[in-house]
Amino acid sequence: MLKSNEFTEKLRAKELLTDVQMKSIKEYEALRFFSIHNELRFLLYLAVLLFTSGVGIIIYKNIDSIGHIAILGLLFALTGVGFYLCFKKAKGFDKEEVLFDSPVYDYIVLLCTILSCIFIGYLQFQYQVFGYGLSSLVCSLIGFFCGYYFDNKSALSIAITGLATFIGITVTPKALMGNEIYSDPSLPYYGLALGVLLILWGEYSNKISLKKHFRLVFLTFAQHLIGICCIAGLLDDYWFVFAMFLAASTYFFYKISYETSSTFLFVFTLLYGYIGINIVLFKVFEFIDISRIEEFIIILTPIYFIISIFGFIKLIQYFNREKA
Amino acid sequence: MIVFDKRHLENTFLLEEAKRLNSHGFITKVQLGEIKQLPVLKSHDNVLIRLGFYLLGSFLLSSLMGVISLVTMGLAESHFWIMLSVYTIIGLVGSEFLAKVQYQFGYGLDDAFILGFQGFFCATIGIAFESPMAAFIALAFIGFAACVRYINTLSILLSLIGTTGAICYAVLELKVVNSAFLPIILLTLASILYVIYIKISKSEEFNYYKNPIVLLQGFSLLLGYFSMNYLVVRELSESLLGLKIATGEDIPLAFLFYGFTLLVPIFYVTYSLYSKDKLMLIIGFLVFGFSIYTIRFYYHLMPIEAALLLGGTLLFTVASVAINKLKNKEKGLTFKAARSSDPDILSNLEALIVNSQVDLEPIESQGKMTYGGGGFSGGGAGESF
Repeated sequence: MLKSNEFTEKLRAKELLTDVQMKSIKEYEALRFFSIHNELRFLLYLAVLLFTSGVGIIIYKNIDSIGHIAILGLLFALTGVGFYLCFKKAKGFDKEEVLFDSPVYDYIVLLCTILSCIFIGYLQFQYQVFGYGLSSLVCSLIGFFCGYYFDNKSALSIAITGLATFIGITVTPKALMGNEIYSDPSLPYYGLALGVLLILWGEYSNKISLKKHFRLVFLTFAQHLIGICCIAGLLDDYWFVFAMFLAASTYFFYKISYETSSTFLFVFTLLYGYIGINIVLFKVFEFIDISRIEEFIIILTPIYFIISIFGFIKLIQYFNREKA
Repeated sequence: MIVFDKRHLENTFLLEEAKRLNSHGFITKVQLGEIKQLPVLKSHDNVLIRLGFYLLGSFLLSSLMGVISLVTMGLAESHFWIMLSVYTIIGLVGSEFLAKVQYQFGYGLDDAFILGFQGFFCATIGIAFESPMAAFIALAFIGFAACVRYINTLSILLSLIGTTGAICYAVLELKVVNSAFLPIILLTLASILYVIYIKISKSEEFNYYKNPIVLLQGFSLLLGYFSMNYLVVRELSESLLGLKIATGEDIPLAFLFYGFTLLVPIFYVTYSLYSKDKLMLIIGFLVFGFSIYTIRFYYHLMPIEAALLLGGTLLFTVASVAINKLKNKEKGLTFKAARSSDPDILSNLEALIVNSQVDLEPIESQGKMTYGGGGFSGGGAGESF
């Protein structure tokens, strides 16, 4: 709720506010406007997550007891009803951003997307309908469809994760923290390829104005995919290739974060770049005989840290100034 | 009382107000630019930059301490508190210098010195008197003083922690009164703090202390809830007071704690909607969640999946009914987005979080693990934001 205070009055007294502006502030204040928009949306979102977790656990616990057909039937019916509602209310596909009349449907779309992923996963688990790994691809396709048709970023994000899973990389935040990203050493290459693909698609979409507001989602995923794959690659044999790649991607994301004025992209660009530089620095130390300059390095470390922090501050300050 | 130059300080707050009006679309960028010409104190709105400067400040303070420690090494063994008090003075002098000469206010460097000297002061007193009680009281006083002088928001938190800590220590260790009364005493403290909050938030005199006041409110609301929460009271009675609870028995006055556990969140949410208080609303939702956890901790009324399904369905129904009711309201409580809010932030955040919840890993069918939905990780944290 906006409350005018002593400082608003002082701004007026110093003639930094006009009378008209002061009047409109007072009028707005008189409405006692109290928006719980974000709070209610978040509750809906939480409800969807709770519900789908419940469904997941029920299936997990009862996989042998309730008939498979019964579970599948129920899931199918639930998803079907949800999708029916959404299709009825949807305004149809458009290249621009389209919103449902009521945001409740956004969350029904999300619910249905997750439920259909569960449905497909269950189908795969019990009857092996799809070849190995293909189930994630199907989920991903459903996600892309829902994302684009109903204009839903969460569905889109599920779709991208599905795509990454299809090639064998888990890019969920949980997996990142648990350091369980890959199951195969050749995966950094695939990850890089997917990251580049996402960037290309995001930029192409932006160019032909296809759902422009999805760009940031694509860029975010691409940034983390490329960043993580490069860092993993740097610890490998052909680290030089990855170092070049990381440098290129850091440059690219540096530019793009200025273009999109996204602090989020910018901070992670700096972070991945910094981690990369440090790893390369260690690689260099491995090459040269370190014992002769050991003391020198120990003395230099605190200075290095201070310079790093100072560098971060300056870069972020510059970014903020340009953004404003 | 306040260390800063009056004119600079006022301009800083005028600029802040102007930025807020600009974000609500009341004044133009040009006007904001005009107001930016005023001489203001140096501060950083951006958390990352402030954190960076805080780290730098900590480096600076610790290297100053290092130099002094080299000289006074001999004191460390017998009179460690003298060294600590020297550090306190350095921190204090640094804080004064940064505020008065450098015009820093919420800059980052000053935060490091202000928080640093409070920590050293608290340690000095604690070691000199060899008593935790003295340390808590010292923290309560120095935090309050620093908040008043430097308008430093985190200092008031230190002060409140000191106050609460001193009371808990007096009751639990010094046995000033029967330890069983601790919840009631803390509830009283929370109420007193809240009354203070109401008094000073209404007064014009304390306009510069907007952020510390908000922190005071949040602290008192949380303290009020947790001091009477059944789970907290029961577990702490068992571990701190050595209370043994046999099966079938319950802690004394259990009904009271149950009542508070259930009613406080409901009160917070309804009252905040009535009084239009965002912070209280959010705290209300959070403690409501904790109340549900409290009950589930002791009573398994239903299996987790049923609880999740039921909870999800209920929540969805309540939220959608509320949205439908509030959708077209133009004033008062409404679902219409606030003028200043950025609709993209929430949807981007949701798109990130959803992945901590949905697991698309293909599973070979030999295992008993099933697919989808995944473990309930409580929404999980996105990797950032």
